[in-house]
Amino acid sequence: MTHAMVMFFFLALAVVLIGLLFWATRPPKLVPHPVEDIFELLSQQRHCLRLSFIQRALQPEDTEFLGETGNRGLMRGIRAERRRIALHYLDDLQQEFETLLEISRAMAVMAPEVVAVEEMERWKLSLAFAMNCTLLRWRLYLRLRPVSGFISISSMATGMVRHLEAATASITENALGAGDFSELDLNERDND
Amino acid sequence: MSAPLSLVDIIWRVTTAAELALLATLIWRKANNSFPFFTAYLASVLLQSVGMFFVYQQTNWNGARVWNIAWGTQAGVTVMRSLALVELTRKILARYAGIWALARVLILCVGICVVAYALAFSRGHSQWVTLNLVRGLELAMAAVIVTVLLFARYYRLPIGSLPRGVAVGLCLYSVFYVIDYSLLEKGLVRHMEIWNFLSVLTFLASLLLWLAAFYLYPVREQAATPANISPEAYGKLSSEVNLRLYLLNRQINQILNSGERRP
Repeated sequence: MTHAMVMFFFLALAVVLIGLLFWATRPPKLVPHPVEDIFELLSQQRHCLRLSFIQRALQPEDTEFLGETGNRGLMRGIRAERRRIALHYLDDLQQEFETLLEISRAMAVMAPEVVAVEEMERWKLSLAFAMNCTLLRWRLYLRLRPVSGFISISSMATGMVRHLEAATASITENALGAGDFSELDLNERDND
Repeated sequence: MSAPLSLVDIIWRVTTAAELALLATLIWRKANNSFPFFTAYLASVLLQSVGMFFVYQQTNWNGARVWNIAWGTQAGVTVMRSLALVELTRKILARYAGIWALARVLILCVGICVVAYALAFSRGHSQWVTLNLVRGLELAMAAVIVTVLLFARYYRLPIGSLPRGVAVGLCLYSVFYVIDYSLLEKGLVRHMEIWNFLSVLTFLASLLLWLAAFYLYPVREQAATPANISPEAYGKLSSEVNLRLYLLNRQINQILNSGERRP
């Protein structure tokens, strides 16, 4: 390996680290939720419940009869409106996913033990979710049929819920088995 | 008449003064109790500066001997910095038992992988082993700091201004050390003056950053304590979360299944 290549490897890694350092030290986008807010977050309405209506509204067959009866302008208008609604729905779905992630993070912070594999899978899920959301958004903008994308995203949300369920079960188990949480806090303060 | 001071000499003296000022600030603000390893690291840097000053005065010593002493002490200082980093990492994450347990494993893996990467891409000559090892450690430390900060960001963990300042100073120094060394590696001996200058300059920048952090920010910041609830309340919360998620999961599955059945 030439000296130039070695130098490139080190410099590239150093530049990436500087970039990540500045990204990581930016002020956080969202404020952490207090424990009592988690109940509130969980009681919020779930947008994915409307998934089937959105899916149906995006089926071309649903408005095709308008074109067949000579109302092509109306058909296009309705389809455009439905796409706009679908985009709003997508925003809400993304927000809901973020909320679920927030809850899972809050639980991880409280948990006396965090399962690495689950955390990693959740992280991968969130990456895949973000990618699919972007893809789906573009498909809607380009007027492509996005039903398969919606199914893929809702499967991810389902997977996410499963992970959270497993995590909460583990946390409950640990919480019931462990001593008083305040002890940990007091010990920490003593150490300081 | 004494010879005029070179730029390297001036910056070396300024750096030593900054080291002393930082050490004094640490003691004055009683931060040495909260950051004992960081204080020890700083003391080791000062000792190294003083020691190297005397070594360079020995005109009858050969170059290889001075080289070995210089890099030997640098390896020692790097180890001290590693300990300061462990201390800092504990300060940021150890309050959160679950996350800390996970982070320890991840940080260790990142550290080992980066050192292995650095050594794999370094020169094989024995003379360069210490230098490459130091570069590898510096790179690993920078990667570990970035990992810790990313971890804290992902989990929305609050980091005090002082630990953040210390972390940024440590990371920037390590990264710029790697950049300086990598750029001048081929002609390190030929361009020793430039390399020394850049190296001391980047260290001075970190020293000033730490000095500002220890002077401006409170040493004992009001730590944001993690959820401090009784196991009963915790169990109740978890059950509530579990139930809500279970219902949500079931509803989504129902929607999906009904969608599949639709003609």
